[in-house]
Amino acid sequence: MKNRLKVLRAERNWSQGDLAQRLEVSRQSVNAIETGKFDPSLPLAFKLARLFGLRIEEIFEDGESAS
Amino acid sequence: MICSINSAAQRRFVRSSWIGAGLVVVLTALAAVAVRVAHLHGPLVYPVAVLPALPIIWVLIETGRYLAEEKDEFMRNLLVQCLLGGIGGTLAVTTVWGNLEHFAGILRLDPILIYAIFWFCAALTYPVVYRRYR
Repeated sequence: MKNRLKVLRAERNWSQGDLAQRLEVSRQSVNAIETGKFDPSLPLAFKLARLFGLRIEEIFEDGESAS
Repeated sequence: MICSINSAAQRRFVRSSWIGAGLVVVLTALAAVAVRVAHLHGPLVYPVAVLPALPIIWVLIETGRYLAEEKDEFMRNLLVQCLLGGIGGTLAVTTVWGNLEHFAGILRLDPILIYAIFWFCAALTYPVVYRRYR
């Protein structure tokens, strides 16, 4: 699933490690989500949304709705 | 795991796995000495024979505990994929071996090796999983 994590992270000048620490997950998790290789669960997606002050759909792009 | 150890649950799981592996070696050696060298016999043989299996059961329980306690869903997912690789590999190896036993008359596969085959296959799965998420 495509997402804007990398951009949002860069806007805040956070490294993957910084974001991982805030989410209480591993840096590898952040990398896998950011590159679209791993889709987070709903609770983790909500946590991300809260952290960035956005709605889930403003971070993650549903491939279905794009078409 | 793909990376350095990140969580307390992961640390405990790795520690348990190493302690378990060490205990298997020590207890297997002790059981072998007791039965083959000291010629232990009678009802005492049974608990001594079972002794090396206990750390294996303990590590399996610790694996389940890790999966229950690990909060990082990605890391949990990685271990699950490796375990599935281990299960699939073990089934494949034992099925092929079983057929070879039946139809080609090769040496019987000692069931004591199945646990080792499982972790070997799980470890072989790791680089495949690693490449996917690199």
